[in-house]
Amino acid sequence: MSDEHEPKNKSSRHDPSRRKFLKGVGVAGAGAALVDHIIAADAKAAPKKSIVAGQPVSGTVDIVLDVNGAKRNVSVEPRTTLLNALRNHLEPAVTGPKLVCDMGTCGACTVLMDGKNVYACLVLAVDAVGKKLTTVEGFGTPENMSAVQAAFVEHDGLMCGFCTPGFVTTISAYLKKNANPTLDEVREACKGNFCRCGTYPRVFEAALAAAKAGRS
Amino acid sequence: MPQQPQAQPSPTPPPKKKKVRVPRVVNGVEQMVEIEVDDVAGPGWGPNDKHALLNHRITRVDGPLKVSGAARYTYDVRLPNMLYGRVRRCPHAHAKIKKFDSSAAMRMPGVKAIIQTPLTELRFAGSPVAAVAATTPELAQDAARAIIVEYEVLPHVVTADTAIKPGAPRVLAAEGPGSEDNLAAKGKQGDPQKVEAAFATCDAVVEAEYRTPRLHHCCLETHGMVVDFSGGDTATIYATTQGTFTIPQDAARELGLPQSAVTATVQHMGGGFGSKFGIGIEGMMACRLSKETKAPVKLMLTRSDEFLMAGNRSGSWQKMKGGAKKDGTLVALQATQYRLGGLGQGSQAGQPYAVYRASEFYREVYALHTNEDSGIAMRAPGHPQASFAMESMLDELAYKIGMDPVEFRKKNMRDEMYHRQLERGAREINWAKRNATPGGGSGPLKRGMGCAAGTWGGGGNDQCKVDVTVTRDGSVTVAVGTQDLGTGTRTYTRAIVAEELGLQIKDVVEQIGNSKLGGANSSGGSTTAASLSPSVKDAAYKARMELAAKFSPLLGNAKPEEIVFANGNVTAGGKSIAWKQACAALPPAGIVAHGVWRSDLQSRGVHGVVFAEVEVDVETGKVRPIKMLQVQDGGLPLNRLTMESQINGGMIQALGMALFETRVMDADLGVQLNPSFMDYKLPGSLEMPELIPLIDDDDKREVVIGIAEAAIIPAIGALANAVFNASGARIRDLPITPDKILMALAAERRSA
Repeated sequence: MSDEHEPKNKSSRHDPSRRKFLKGVGVAGAGAALVDHIIAADAKAAPKKSIVAGQPVSGTVDIVLDVNGAKRNVSVEPRTTLLNALRNHLEPAVTGPKLVCDMGTCGACTVLMDGKNVYACLVLAVDAVGKKLTTVEGFGTPENMSAVQAAFVEHDGLMCGFCTPGFVTTISAYLKKNANPTLDEVREACKGNFCRCGTYPRVFEAALAAAKAGRS
Repeated sequence: MPQQPQAQPSPTPPPKKKKVRVPRVVNGVEQMVEIEVDDVAGPGWGPNDKHALLNHRITRVDGPLKVSGAARYTYDVRLPNMLYGRVRRCPHAHAKIKKFDSSAAMRMPGVKAIIQTPLTELRFAGSPVAAVAATTPELAQDAARAIIVEYEVLPHVVTADTAIKPGAPRVLAAEGPGSEDNLAAKGKQGDPQKVEAAFATCDAVVEAEYRTPRLHHCCLETHGMVVDFSGGDTATIYATTQGTFTIPQDAARELGLPQSAVTATVQHMGGGFGSKFGIGIEGMMACRLSKETKAPVKLMLTRSDEFLMAGNRSGSWQKMKGGAKKDGTLVALQATQYRLGGLGQGSQAGQPYAVYRASEFYREVYALHTNEDSGIAMRAPGHPQASFAMESMLDELAYKIGMDPVEFRKKNMRDEMYHRQLERGAREINWAKRNATPGGGSGPLKRGMGCAAGTWGGGGNDQCKVDVTVTRDGSVTVAVGTQDLGTGTRTYTRAIVAEELGLQIKDVVEQIGNSKLGGANSSGGSTTAASLSPSVKDAAYKARMELAAKFSPLLGNAKPEEIVFANGNVTAGGKSIAWKQACAALPPAGIVAHGVWRSDLQSRGVHGVVFAEVEVDVETGKVRPIKMLQVQDGGLPLNRLTMESQINGGMIQALGMALFETRVMDADLGVQLNPSFMDYKLPGSLEMPELIPLIDDDDKREVVIGIAEAAIIPAIGALANAVFNASGARIRDLPITPDKILMALAAERRSA
């Protein structure tokens, strides 16, 4: 069994990894901003250890995320992605955004950050502090669906449903920018989202129908 | 791999029995077995166009949950004190483990357990060597990387062309008589002398090699499970699986529990496509980590794990020679078929592909092994490979003798049902307007059309045991252990019960995806609908009869069979009572009816044709799919909306196979170069053609047949043939990428 009290800033000599890299970047790159966020978010939730620019941070930091209109306190490692913070650390969890590729290719984890759609697997949780986050849960509930969500059901724009939260979020954001899109514009808007079951044609139909419903 | 216990016919004086041949699914592959079932006649489905709910467009009952993020998948399960598992993989195609040291990794923060593979020799790059459980996935990943593993690297071979050569590195031990080197003979059929003689009578002969690469399922939810076990007497396994009942036995063995103490559950799952049966290596590791830590463990594979160790569709290499007469009759076919299944056997339907007949044929089938992860079942195992080769060769013969490819096909089909489908498809796509000369027309953008046909079984078996419960408040529950893969199982299950009882979809709730509910088959081989729906119908019918007996006193003692259940009322002899009011007369516990499978409510054997139109830029080699349409029969369509979606899905996956997808191997290093969505090209929104799923309502069979696999087969050949019709480039090696088109066109110019 491991020793939980092992000194946490002892850097590992084994293969440097992306996560390890992010661990460093958390402070070396965005360090100042990070400290600002943390202090601004909650003065009482000061970092658990002093942060020195240029030195890797390990251990956890306490942050506040604004998710679907609620302020959520959470303690994460600086390298934790927004997606993993939502899914693995918030209590209760926010699991609408799905972890599929974990490298910003498939769009299943799409969320809105200050109204702009982003891949939550490419955003560090600490960089989402102070931003308004909207996940698919923020658009509607099973009992009270948004126009886009209702159109997905009506037009069968889903099968297994694992890509669906990402598509719903992408299209919801896009229709805010362009309320009257063409089919080609919808295709273009969805190009960062993958589906494997093959729902694309009906996702397009749903998007166009939701746009039409929104205009009438 | 676990198989669910097969239901045994009762030994005591039973109703009459009859023998039926049914498919059972083992690891995603259907195997035909003969079983005995009660020879009971019950009410049929009735004419396909006379249903109140079935054969209509019913929106998915789980749709609202899925579009709002409320559907809980295995990947979403999070339990108190749960640990996260991560796998460490072998980076070499063939190696022995010389040293394994996890002591440093064990001391890292949050690490609770590390387990090691019992294997010492690893035969593919990606083979798991260890797994870690830690308090977060990030810490588990750190520790997995920190394990020190040293290997003795051994010779490997990862390409078919090298593997077949004498002296190539040996992948497996000898498989027995007939097997030499990496090649294992899997059967011969036909008479080579007769075929030779038949070739002498042909007006046209085509001899060519066709290849299809290994493909990945790319389930968006990776393989894995959450083991809810804390060292007590019972465990619950949250599994992303196509076989709820394939989980408990193996999980119990790993956890050291009796099978009855283990419950498997799957409420929603993010794609399987044939790859998710049994607990798998990842499930074994999750169970062992949980057993060792006495804590719940969630082990979901990463995306790169998924590519490297979760299986794939086997590739194919088919050497074909076909000969036809001027009138279009295929009189001779010879095929040497290599199944490229890596360490596994691979799969490939025999030539001539089952849609067609050849007067004389001879085939030899081999498994050709390489140091790659075993091929496993993937939607219509073996069919897309064989269909692509056969459809391409037929197309080449048709052009060679100057015959319309549609007419040429009709001449050689086993079943005339295809003629009707081909004629409808040709009409819908305006086949007469296709490019008169392949590659003809002016300008660099050239359009063309192609067609192809497919076939599948899709029959059911007797493994589904369904309970329908009606309680005093009028609520109706239908319960069965079956899983819903996103095919619409929940929705038609409700619809069958609602229709039988004259209710609406919303009046029925289903309980599914749990091994403590009534037994059910695995969802493989398109067997779910034809296994489940007869049992649901039987349970619902029995419930209706029992209710009718109970309601009779309320309706002037009407005969139960004369009581009509419709529009939320029960009616007889001019008297009508609302459903809820009638149910209030039920005994306190309500009624429960048990349904069993009835073979007469289902069948097997579907057809299906695809027509595709593409545009080829002959200067860049880029193919733009314009339109694809599929005419698909399936007996009684339980739900037109979801059936059409499934046909679309088949066409889109076929589009990926035809134009984009391939597993790229580095021959020297023996590793996959594209184990990510960044480099493994899936069809995306920009590549979508217009898709037209057409249900063949001229199929009047009043039976349920599964169509999931049928939907993926024909479009591959249709697209390849459309590329040829458009550009004059015949690409026999999938995927049809721009470089291959440009090379083919250049070769043609040189030879002209």
